[in-house]
This record gives sequence, structure tokens and C-alpha cells, in this order.
Amino acid sequence: MMRTITIILSKLSLYILSILNKGGSFPGKIALTLCPNILQKLVYHQSVILVTGTNGKTSTANMIAEACMVAGKSVAINTKGDNLRNGITTTLMKYTTFFGRIKTDIIVLEVDELTLPSIFPQLPVSSLVVTNFFRDQLDRAKEMEQLIQGIEKSIHHYEGNLLLNGNDPNVMRLAKAAPSATTYTYGMNIDMEDKVEETNEGKFCPICGSFLQYTSHYYSHVGRFHCEDCLFATPNLDISIHKIDEDTFVVGEESFTVSNPALYTMYNCLAVLLFAKVYDIPFDCVRQAFLQVKTPMGRNEKFIIQDQPWVMNLIKNPTGANEVLKQVEKAQEDNIVIFALNDNAQDGTDVSWIYDSDFERILHKQTKAIICCGQRAHDAALRMKYGGYDGELILCEKLQDAFEKGMSYHQPVYVLTTYTAMLPMRTIIRRESI
Amino acid sequence: MKLKVCWMYHDIMDLYGDRGNIMVLKKRCLDRGIDFDMQTCGIGDEVDLSTFDLVFFGGGADREQGLIIEDLKKRKENIQQALDQQTFFFLVCGGYQLFGKYYVDANGNKIEGLGFFDYETTAGLNKERCIGNIVIECEMEEECFLVVGFENHGGQTKHVQTPFGHVLAGYGNDVSSKKEGFYNGQVLGTYLHGPLLPKNPKLADIIIKKSLSKRYESPQLEALDDTLEIAANHSILKKLNISVDS
Repeated sequence: MMRTITIILSKLSLYILSILNKGGSFPGKIALTLCPNILQKLVYHQSVILVTGTNGKTSTANMIAEACMVAGKSVAINTKGDNLRNGITTTLMKYTTFFGRIKTDIIVLEVDELTLPSIFPQLPVSSLVVTNFFRDQLDRAKEMEQLIQGIEKSIHHYEGNLLLNGNDPNVMRLAKAAPSATTYTYGMNIDMEDKVEETNEGKFCPICGSFLQYTSHYYSHVGRFHCEDCLFATPNLDISIHKIDEDTFVVGEESFTVSNPALYTMYNCLAVLLFAKVYDIPFDCVRQAFLQVKTPMGRNEKFIIQDQPWVMNLIKNPTGANEVLKQVEKAQEDNIVIFALNDNAQDGTDVSWIYDSDFERILHKQTKAIICCGQRAHDAALRMKYGGYDGELILCEKLQDAFEKGMSYHQPVYVLTTYTAMLPMRTIIRRESI
Repeated sequence: MKLKVCWMYHDIMDLYGDRGNIMVLKKRCLDRGIDFDMQTCGIGDEVDLSTFDLVFFGGGADREQGLIIEDLKKRKENIQQALDQQTFFFLVCGGYQLFGKYYVDANGNKIEGLGFFDYETTAGLNKERCIGNIVIECEMEEECFLVVGFENHGGQTKHVQTPFGHVLAGYGNDVSSKKEGFYNGQVLGTYLHGPLLPKNPKLADIIIKKSLSKRYESPQLEALDDTLEIAANHSILKKLNISVDS
């Protein structure tokens, strides 16, 4: 009875919000207030897929959902990255009948890695997809070790599937934490000799504490690793990329094209391909999904303003930022960088991560000006100054001023922004873009 | 002039952007025509710390702290030698803790420190942490100024006889004492990350000057344009409602 009342009230608030053309996780909050264990009271007849990790959750979950839809399945998904308890509940409230039965063929949920331990036991999870674990907003996420231990504890009795990034030692240790689960892995199978010197959580074997050895390093601590002491290593991968050519990568006999040819994008694609393999979704559907899935907001999102290309990227931790900075570094012509740095809870109140990120990649002559804005604009500017930047360094208090300044150069602009500055910045940009 | 710097455990104790401190020291030396000669010292490396003017040692997570302690203990005599020869030590978080008597981590494991100083550190009850922006008032080299930073530590450090500063906003060594860090004129230990030095140019220069004075008699540092640094410092004061003149 309580379940039905909860669903009715929650759906009512969803309806009102939709009339007002608003989103948000309020309906989930109502549901959880009225009935704290509402998630356990719903009826699930379909597979429940959870996607977690530090980076790539939203993109991966969206592509998995898209592939399912191309294959003709109906999907319940939290597309807007609403990945905390209230947001997840809101999504399920939207797709449930008044009798608590979720209507779709499959449920795909992106789950914040800190929320996972509490939400995991409440859902009949069929597959848990884990992308990677990096240093992320330490003030919020505690130290990464504590975070992973929390997840390990929650999956100890899990008997479903684990779909893991086989190149990330911090992810692979989950296979040992859930002995009854069936583990599938994805990763790269390419020889790379570059020694990566980036902030790195993979120096030590997470199992025995010895130094980890890498035969190939792809980015940060992601690579083909092995421990000489306890033999913990990248396993034989179920799905792997063995060749990359610009924006195309090859898996077995099949090649796939992506719109944003960054390594981290290809890792997200690999997770989707592994999912498809485990769930018998034809690769042709996946190929189509890669092409037609909408890029999430602020992930290499492109705009044209007064004939100039603007590219917006969300950055929130060193590893993600480094991959974005590598893309900006590849730019062929002179350009302008706008860096919007906020320090609200969702951004991380500790902005020291900007010193663990390799901004030096863009502190060269081709970057004609760097415009720093947001609540911690000064910190952003000091980072560039001490990184050795000697171009034009500009401080703007308001995002609007930064935008206008950026436009005044009539050159391509790269916008780097933290989470809470992204939406207001995007609104300003969209107003002017064609 | 030349500043000889050793960065200890640079590849392990590098949490919270502490490498920003090295970037600041380096640029502020080079901009004045002072050579900056930096070496790193990792686990097992053969390095004589007493040959340096400045030794920097950053923070790490509990796990990392446990890994370096054996190596650090082997260097105790050498560190004493460096102290005797007036090398300046700049220690952040983990480095600061390990120069005291002991450190008890969140799981109750006790790690013996080097015992150079009387303070001791115990992880907070119920895994509580001191997290947030912090402002402290410091008196160094007969100057009084405000230092800003970000703290994020579980450890509660007690029995510090000579603190680095008095806390105006934030926590400091522990939740109640209102004292932050340790400073005795030659060793500076602190919980302040951020990293610490970019927004505190006066402190950076005091560290450079104190370190240089090991081998040079009363070294003078020419003034640099610190407009941006000072504005950044003030922006944190404003955020925490602290008057610039306090």
C-alpha cells in the first residue's frame, strides 16, 4: 500500500516537473522519504546493469543504452548523469507502473562510485561494469583506497557478472573481492613504449604491495601490468583493441569509428562491446550506437560562434584533465583557452588537483591567451603562471566576461570547465552559437 | 647563488598537488637569477641529505606512508646530520607527522616516527577528517602575515610546542587546539596543501632565504611582482570572511 502511495506521489511530482519543463531528482527524494526501501519494493523482471568508476560512466552507460535501443529493446536509464541515490530512484519511478513493476526490457544505471556500496545491495544487479579508478576530488571521495575497499565489501557475496577494465589494477582487484561472480574483461592489446609520467595510483600491487611492472602504459596507471611477486596481472582479455588508426579501432576482425578519438573514449567503447558480447547484442548495433549516441554535455562538445569553433570539455580530476589537455595540445592552429574553475561540493572544494594535471601541455606559444574565471580563477591563473606560461593571462570574475573576452580574439576557443561552471557556461555559449 | 633542493619520495608522497610547492620555489629562484638544482630521493636511492640547502617532503595516503617508513628510518642518522648542518626542512602532512614520535592510522596501526620532535599523531575518531580551506596567522623572521591553504587530514597532532601559526579559520593540528603545524626556525611542518606556496609568496621567500643562508651569508632576495599571488591569497580570506588586515 505504502509502495503504491509512494509511486503515485513521486510520479505526480515527475508530472508537475515535466509541465514546468524541469528535471532534477526531487521525485526520487520524495519516494525515499516516504519509503526508504522503495528500491527493494519494486519488481524487476529484466537485467539490471550498473556502470561505475571515476571517469567515463556517463558515456559508457549512454552507449550501452543506445546499443540496446538500436537492437530494439526498451531501456530505463539515467541519461543526465543523475547518478546519486535520489537521481537513480527518480529514474526508476519514471519507468515503474503503479504496481511497482519496471516496464522496460533492460535497466542501465550510471552509479556514483561513492553511492555504489549503499545502492548495490538494494538492486538485483545482473552486471556491474567498472571503467577505472582514479584520484578524484579527494576531499569528497576520501582516499581512493578507502573508496575501493567500500565497493569490495559491498560485492563480496555478488553472484552476477563483473565487466571490468583489465588494464586498471585498481579495477581488476574487484574480481578477487567477489569470488562467486563471473568476471569478463576488456582492454588494449597494443605495444606502447612511452613511459607515462602522470599522477598515478598504480605504482603498487593492490594485492601484495610490491612494485607493479608495466609492459605497456596507455594512460595514467592504465596499461598491461603484472606483479612479479603475487602474479596479479592483466588477464587474457575477452574483448581487446589490437590496432588504432586515427579515429578507427580494430577489435578482432571488426573495425569501429568514434567521433572523439581519445584513448579514454575507446576504453568506454570497449566496455560497451564487452557488454554486447555478454548479452548477445549484434556488433552492428553497437557500431551504429557509437555513431548516433549524443555526446554527453561538455564532453568534447562542439559549437560554432562567429565562424570560430568552440570546444567545451568538463574537467574534474587529473586523469580526465590530462586526456582533455592531450586533445587540446593536438590543435593545429593558434587558439584561446578559457578555464572556469569552481570549488563547490560537486566540483571538489579542494582545487589542488590542478597541480596534479599536466597543464604544461598547453602552456606554449600556440595558446595565445588563457582566460581564467570561476570562483577559483586566481588559483587557475597561478597554476598557469607557475607552469611557466608567458602568453596573455587574463582573470575574469564573471563567466559572461570570460566568454566575451574569448570571442574577441576571433580564434578557436577551448573551454575547460569544472562541473558547476559547466551548465552556466554552456547556457552562455549556446545563446550565441548557431 | 644556487639553491640545492632534495625532494623526498616525490613519486610516492605526492598527494594533493604538493609538486606545486616545488614549481613555486623553482620559479621564484630562477626569476631572480638564482640557480635551482633539484634532485629527488626515492626508496633505496643513495642520497646524502646533508649536502642540500632544502629538503621537501610531501603528503601521502596511509598506504603510501606505511611503504616509505622503513626507508625513512634508515636515513634517520643522515637527517640528523643534515639538521646539524643547517639544512632547512619543509614538510607537508605525512612528512610532518613522521618527524614526530609516532603516527596511529585509521585502522589503529601504530607507525613509529623519527622522533626528532615531541609531537604525536593519532587518526581522528570515527574516521573523522579535518577538511576545508584554512587561514592561519604566522610570525616568522619578525614578520606577521596570513597564510592560506587547504587541509585534508585524519591525523590529530598533539603536543606541538612551537606551532607554525594560529588558526583563524579551519582546524589546524587537531580539531580543538587552534594551532597549526610546527616551526622551530629550521624545520617547518604543516598540514596545509593547496598547494601551500603559490598563494603565500612571502612564506615561499622566507623558505628560500632560510635555505640559502646555509651556505650564503645574509642572502638578499629582490622583490617580484606578486600582484596575482596576493590577490589569490586575499580571495581565500574573503571567502572565509577574514579581514585582510587582521
